[in-house]
Amino acid sequence: MNVKKALILVSLIILVLTLSAAFTSSALGHYPLPLSGVRWLASWYLYTTLNPQYPKFTAMSPEAVTAIVWDYRGLDTLFETAVFFLAIVGALALMRGISLKSLAESNETTTEGAGSGLSLISKTAAKLLTPLIIAVSASIALHGHLTPGGGFQGGSAAAVAPLLLLVIFSVYFLLRRGISEKPMLTLRTAGLLGIYLTALAVVFTGLVTGVNAYVFQNQPKFDAPVGIPAYLFNTLVSGSLFLFNLSEYLAVAGGFTLVFILLSIPEELVMSLIRGEEHE
Amino acid sequence: MIGLNTLTYLFMALTSVISLIATYLAVLEKDLIRAVVYSALQSTAYTILFYLLMAPDIALVYVPVAVGLYPAVILFLVKKTERIDGELGSVEGDGGK
Amino acid sequence: MSEVDTFMFNVFIFSMILNTAISLYGIFARPTLIKKIIALTIFSDTANVLAIAVGYRAWPTVERSPIPPVLTTSEPTASDLTSFLQTAVDPLPQALVLTAIVIGLAVTLFLVFLTLQVYRLYRTTDVRKISRLRG
Repeated sequence: MNVKKALILVSLIILVLTLSAAFTSSALGHYPLPLSGVRWLASWYLYTTLNPQYPKFTAMSPEAVTAIVWDYRGLDTLFETAVFFLAIVGALALMRGISLKSLAESNETTTEGAGSGLSLISKTAAKLLTPLIIAVSASIALHGHLTPGGGFQGGSAAAVAPLLLLVIFSVYFLLRRGISEKPMLTLRTAGLLGIYLTALAVVFTGLVTGVNAYVFQNQPKFDAPVGIPAYLFNTLVSGSLFLFNLSEYLAVAGGFTLVFILLSIPEELVMSLIRGEEHE
Repeated sequence: MIGLNTLTYLFMALTSVISLIATYLAVLEKDLIRAVVYSALQSTAYTILFYLLMAPDIALVYVPVAVGLYPAVILFLVKKTERIDGELGSVEGDGGK
Repeated sequence: MSEVDTFMFNVFIFSMILNTAISLYGIFARPTLIKKIIALTIFSDTANVLAIAVGYRAWPTVERSPIPPVLTTSEPTASDLTSFLQTAVDPLPQALVLTAIVIGLAVTLFLVFLTLQVYRLYRTTDVRKISRLRG
């Protein structure tokens, strides 16, 4: 059986090498190789991402990827965020009726140190690592308009910290420190509300001052002369990009933590709750 | 003398072949825990590929997601359900009833 | 690109195409739902790598590599922008893949909860056993 597996693996690698050799020598036609330039649209994005000479076109962020995600293609990202949170809402709906509060109360007697979780070494290491992970993820998220990073990256990096605590301690450890369903749901909702308000901020300003303005507008445009300031106390904050990154960071971190807490509830408790519903 | 560009492409080819091996083992492995470990190896290879393709943003989001969160979630799931993929014998036994 | 570089890049592309094929086999032919989820994540990741590879560009000169689409100065001059335009890779596929990865994780979490619910109700995650339960 193992010889057969190894034979198939070797033949797969030989297939890759043969196909590559055939396409290199044009025996089977041409394969599109990397271009020497970039496409027209990409060169437009690269040229205007931070270009003070064209203040009506630029997104005022040296990071072209974040500028595309939250400025040029902002509405795309808004609806992708909607898909993301619908998936989390679907996961929550499957776990409906399972209350974490009773879970924490029923386990009030278990002590933290002795019975639950992994060894003392892992617990000490986790206690040291958790603030570091949170700090690094916040740095990734809040510098997202200047360096590689942003709300999505920072949020998923921050979600590693509660997962580490869940594995090394237990779900009760998090529940007793107040990291349960409700605060995470609040955090997630605050993030989504932040995205919503930032997307509409320029429209509100336009309505108040009586000039033309767009949804998801960042810098002033030709027919819409209002915008969010790119500099705050002489520091580049790239207008709405900083606010979007901050909100998305809170929303992604809160949403993932919520799902992980629900996933780590012991199965016997869930089964007894489901059985109880059926008997009623 | 090998240039820096040839070295980059060589590293890219080696990493993608490693990811091919890891994918093959992950899909064929019967033990789900070992399959998750092979899948994490494949994700590591993909992270290096993202770095070589000059996409630091994607590498930053891919490291916590595919090397940290995916394996952990799948391991939670395996711990709560069953560990071995495809026991045909019990299926045939049930079918006979 | 020289012959050797083209060969190496082709090895990369065809490994990704074979990865797609293997993970599709895993999605269709493996019986357990968990194995299907693992294969599905590999499939989506491979699609993401291929999308990033579309945005890659050939080396401008032999010594200078392409750079990530990030300006290293906050007050660029015209020459900074010109050299940035000549060496940076395409940022658009990266922006699309960035959201695709996070959404992929959320959808996978939803599938994980569905699989868990299937196991709670039927005590198995094997699709052949589940299809026989309703006989």
